[in-house]
Amino acid sequence: MSFLGNLKDKVSQAILEKSSANSKKLTKDESFRLEYNLPDTETIIDESAAEISIVSPYTSKNSISDNTLPFFSGKIYLTQRFLVFRDVYDKRTCSFVLHISSIKKVERVPSNSYIFALSITAYSGLQYIIQYVGIRSRSEQFSHKFKIMLKENLPNVKHLRPFLETCYSEYLLSKNHCNVEEFQNQPAGGLGLKFKFPGDARKLKDKSKMRLWFEYFKAHGRNITLSRDQMFYKLIRVGLPNRLRGEIWELCCGSMYLRLDNKDEYSSILKLNEGKHSLAIDEIEKDLNRSLPEFPAYQTEEGINRLRRVLTAYSWKNTEVGYCQAMNIVVAALLIYMSEEQAFWCLSIICDRLVPGYYSKTMYGTLLDQKVYESLVQKTMPLLWEHITKNDIQLSVVSLPWFLSLFLSSMPLVFAFRIVDVFFLNGPKTLFQVALAILRINGEELLRTEDDGTFISILKDYFSTLDDSAHPNSPNEHYRSITKFQELLVVSFKEFAIVTDEMVENFRARNKNEVFQGIENFIKRTQLRNFPRTRNLTPENLSNIYDRFYQIVQSSDVKMGGGTSLMDFELYKVFMSEITDWVNLNNQYEDKNQDAFLKRLFNNWDVEKRNALTLENIVVGLNKLVEIDLMEGLSNFFELYDVDGNGKVNKEGMLLISEDLLYLTTPWRDGFKLDSITNKAIESAIADEIIKQQQLAEKINKEREDNANGNSSSNENLPEIKIPTEIDIDREKLERQQSERYLSAASMFIQRSFEYAQPEENPEVPLIDLDDNGDEADRMTKLMANAALDPTHPKYLNLPTFRMVILADETYELFFSETFRDSFHIDSKINSLNKNSRNLRDMFDGLLADGRRVANEVRRRMDTQSASSAASVSSRVQQNDNTSIKSRSHTISSFNDEEDDDFRGTPLEEDLLDNAEAQVLSEIVPSEGRDKLELANNSIVDHDVKILESFSNENKNSTTTNGKKNDPAIIEFET
Amino acid sequence: MSSANKPTTAVKLVLLGEAAVGKSSLVLRFVSNDFQENKEPTIGAAFLTQRCTIGDKTIKFEIWDTAGQERFASLAPMYYRNAQAALVVYDITKPASFIKARHWVKELHEQASKDIIIALCGNKYDLISKNNEEGEEIESNRKVSIEEGQNLAEEENLLFFETSAKTAYNVNEVFMAIGNKIPSGKKKNNDGGLGLSAGRGDNDDNNNGRVDLNAPIDAGANNANCAC
Ligand SMILES: Nc1nc2c(ncn2[C@@H]2O[C@H](COP(=O)(O)OP(=O)(O)OP(=O)(O)O)[C@@H](O)[C@H]2O)c(=O)[nH]1
Ligand SMILES: [Mg+2]
Repeated sequence: MSFLGNLKDKVSQAILEKSSANSKKLTKDESFRLEYNLPDTETIIDESAAEISIVSPYTSKNSISDNTLPFFSGKIYLTQRFLVFRDVYDKRTCSFVLHISSIKKVERVPSNSYIFALSITAYSGLQYIIQYVGIRSRSEQFSHKFKIMLKENLPNVKHLRPFLETCYSEYLLSKNHCNVEEFQNQPAGGLGLKFKFPGDARKLKDKSKMRLWFEYFKAHGRNITLSRDQMFYKLIRVGLPNRLRGEIWELCCGSMYLRLDNKDEYSSILKLNEGKHSLAIDEIEKDLNRSLPEFPAYQTEEGINRLRRVLTAYSWKNTEVGYCQAMNIVVAALLIYMSEEQAFWCLSIICDRLVPGYYSKTMYGTLLDQKVYESLVQKTMPLLWEHITKNDIQLSVVSLPWFLSLFLSSMPLVFAFRIVDVFFLNGPKTLFQVALAILRINGEELLRTEDDGTFISILKDYFSTLDDSAHPNSPNEHYRSITKFQELLVVSFKEFAIVTDEMVENFRARNKNEVFQGIENFIKRTQLRNFPRTRNLTPENLSNIYDRFYQIVQSSDVKMGGGTSLMDFELYKVFMSEITDWVNLNNQYEDKNQDAFLKRLFNNWDVEKRNALTLENIVVGLNKLVEIDLMEGLSNFFELYDVDGNGKVNKEGMLLISEDLLYLTTPWRDGFKLDSITNKAIESAIADEIIKQQQLAEKINKEREDNANGNSSSNENLPEIKIPTEIDIDREKLERQQSERYLSAASMFIQRSFEYAQPEENPEVPLIDLDDNGDEADRMTKLMANAALDPTHPKYLNLPTFRMVILADETYELFFSETFRDSFHIDSKINSLNKNSRNLRDMFDGLLADGRRVANEVRRRMDTQSASSAASVSSRVQQNDNTSIKSRSHTISSFNDEEDDDFRGTPLEEDLLDNAEAQVLSEIVPSEGRDKLELANNSIVDHDVKILESFSNENKNSTTTNGKKNDPAIIEFET
Repeated sequence: MSSANKPTTAVKLVLLGEAAVGKSSLVLRFVSNDFQENKEPTIGAAFLTQRCTIGDKTIKFEIWDTAGQERFASLAPMYYRNAQAALVVYDITKPASFIKARHWVKELHEQASKDIIIALCGNKYDLISKNNEEGEEIESNRKVSIEEGQNLAEEENLLFFETSAKTAYNVNEVFMAIGNKIPSGKKKNNDGGLGLSAGRGDNDDNNNGRVDLNAPIDAGANNANCAC
């Protein structure tokens, strides 16, 4: 069940993800937030052109007084919590993102009258001098809004100090006596602090890197006050020092702001969900021991526990994603350099922003980016791509883990972390650049392989020798000293700098539909495969039900923003109206009975009693409803009313059944649909008509022959026998007969039910003597009045009796064995079904399209008449099978009163039709009906035959009296 | 390398089964006769090859080891496409993994090559057989009975083994049994049944040097194990 449930969620999630992914036209605020990695809460409140200078406590006093401070022209933006600046020419020259709560002091700079400038001092002692460019009033306006934001951020100031205590940069400066404030305790950091960071610190020049960052922080601020210039990017490019890596990562990707804004959320999520279970937690547990096992911390409880907490907390925060393998490796890597809380927020940014959809339940992001990667390979290395496709090499086997685990599971950690450094700075395009560079560098060798095994092993070898010289044989010492890894970086970020975010986005957009379609098809196949066996539904039926179910559920889901994949009663009504003839949501008259019956079905299908149906419920329910085996089908129907499952339906239940049967048969009572009894009657009528016309024609011929007596040659020149081109069928009469048949069936049902119901407990003398000779109507009234509603004599219907009562009536028997099942339309594909067209016209069409049946009927009649004269007609009709016999459907549908008297073609002989009908009834009923009745219950056979006979007589009478005024339905035969 | 002159049949084999049941461990045992207590989960898929000799034919297994987590399932068709054999693995101490195995068998029958040879493996046999003087099973650990496995195998016409990647119990046997069922009359040039594999088969010989360099010791060790 959870397997299916899971998949269902995937489906709806895929749809939701799809709809949100499709509407990707970023607003100005959205792209602004992405560019500066700001939280989703930020919007641009105001912006202004400005020139800024940054003064640190270590800037020489001279340059300030001399007015020789470097300044940058650019644009300054104000959001709810940030002041953002970027240089107008190149963002890399100077930009900063200043958290407003870090501002200690704002002053107006005394200056001449037309220049308007502010001096902002941050807690770090850094001073930002902002000189507005532009109209004075605009500058005043900006300042005014800035003031408001400063005020609104006052409550946040108290969070500042505790936050700064978690930043290694502050501790570093304090330790070296270069901080305005004192930070004495080393902040909680990554596992590397205790278990040693990967790689050789000396070889990595960790200390000198640290020193450079130290200087940088002094002059440019740090964490939430840091301003970036060229040096910043260079420092990242050479690889981050161990102790600062975590902090720079979270600064680069923006997760630092989330951590600042959502203090304590991490711990409270953990507390809130303590002791709870989930699928994600099970999955996480399986992988805890399998995450970077070679790193010593992950062979200890401490390391494992941190990993468990971060992964678990995230699975609760984002239940849509939960947990995906590879996240364990990513988080294990983060935790080497980051505290749990840092890693938690960093993971959030990775999943939500950097690689969206990579770890989702459908993994659509992963699949999509594999496609994008392949497209990029094709574009940048067409020869290699051709080679790969020609040899059917599964590129994704090697590339998918690169993307999914950010190279952390593919190359030695020291190198992977260098790539991750750049990844946090430059975003997802980094992954593509590196992945392309790997193929480029190994291209020549790869072109020489033709199988997956060698392809993979070349790359494996490559990753294990990244530390080796890229040019071992070069005479130039400098060249020799370049490692393969350095070469990789150069190729990635120089040569493949052409791969931009925009290009990646374009390729994503191009491949999106194909990927989603693939996912949807896969999910559908999987779900259908795992349904319980349904012998009454074909795979095609199931496929159609599936499509329809999700179309209905999701069209309402999208509106409600949920993703439940459950169908409530209202949607169920819509669903049923689309697949059956007897649910009509526009018909007010039927509403009450319809609702009652549908609710009954709904409850019966709702096995788990959650007041909503899953697709599986629907499939199982429908399978029961369209049961092919008559006895089984009756049993299923009976079960609907035997709610407590004791095998008994009481008097109220019997009345309910009869009402529901009356409701269910509405389309036939209304003549909206024809059952096979009526169809046979029509066939008979047509056959009779053909024969009659044939005989007429022959008579004419004979007369002509007689007239042309003595002229021998005229025998050969006789005109061809004319096949009637039009046949009139008395539609209304047929419909009325059918309608009466159904009404009578309903009344017989209730009558017999009460008559044959078992008395509860101590059987008493039946109220009504079975030998009663009173007339039917009288009897029925008595029965209803007495037996049904008399509470002192409870009676019940059991399954055998119910079956017997149904089988006693030809119409109802046919209904359960055939008619009802035919009223479902689950074989037609979604959208290809137009319910309005399912009416009488279709019935005639269907009947006549199968010309063979009419032909057979004609032949049958002919056999009983003079065979010789009719033979030619019979064969003629047969010739026309399926091809030229068509009903002139528009004639029927456009029927109106004016045409009532327009009896085109040969006039109808009503007694012919009456005979035909009588024949149908007397022929079919006793033979088929009785056989089964005898099986069910011998004692009532005679009785029922009597009833049926009287019924057909009644009908005959009513038709003969009204016959003439009926609408003839005209059916044209094209010859 | 005594098999150099014998015809080589390349067999594409895919491993499927729930996460952490030991698919990669079985492969590692078969290919390198090794076991790792904390094997990292497979991300996406992994590809390994192993040659071994059965009777007078040499089989080169091209093994596609897939990721077990449910959300990776949509990738699986990419890997079992054209596979001639499949190993569906479950963990005999985890009932849920057996249900999952059932699903995989169903999917393979529906989607994979028609005559695919499927072996069902109840792995981690060591967990129920160790620490017992009598050599009897520690039934408390066992959650999927041998009969359940056998029944499924019978119903679906699968080879069936209970295995342990840890102790190597029955591991080679599984691969040998698959190898034995591979039609042997075929020449290497049409073993895959597809034009593409035929090309690949030719190429195998050209590249033998490279492939063998990667695992000469393992191949030797394994040949000793599995030469029947
Ligand atoms: N006791 C025991 N442990 C095993 C056995 N086989 C595998 N394991 C352990 O089970 C865990 C998972 O093994 P893997 O081989 O990685 O499982 P997998 O099926 O490849 O998992 P995914 O790649 O996530 O689908 C590892 O910790 C193995 O050491 C076995 O036969 N006995
Ligand atoms: Mg694995």
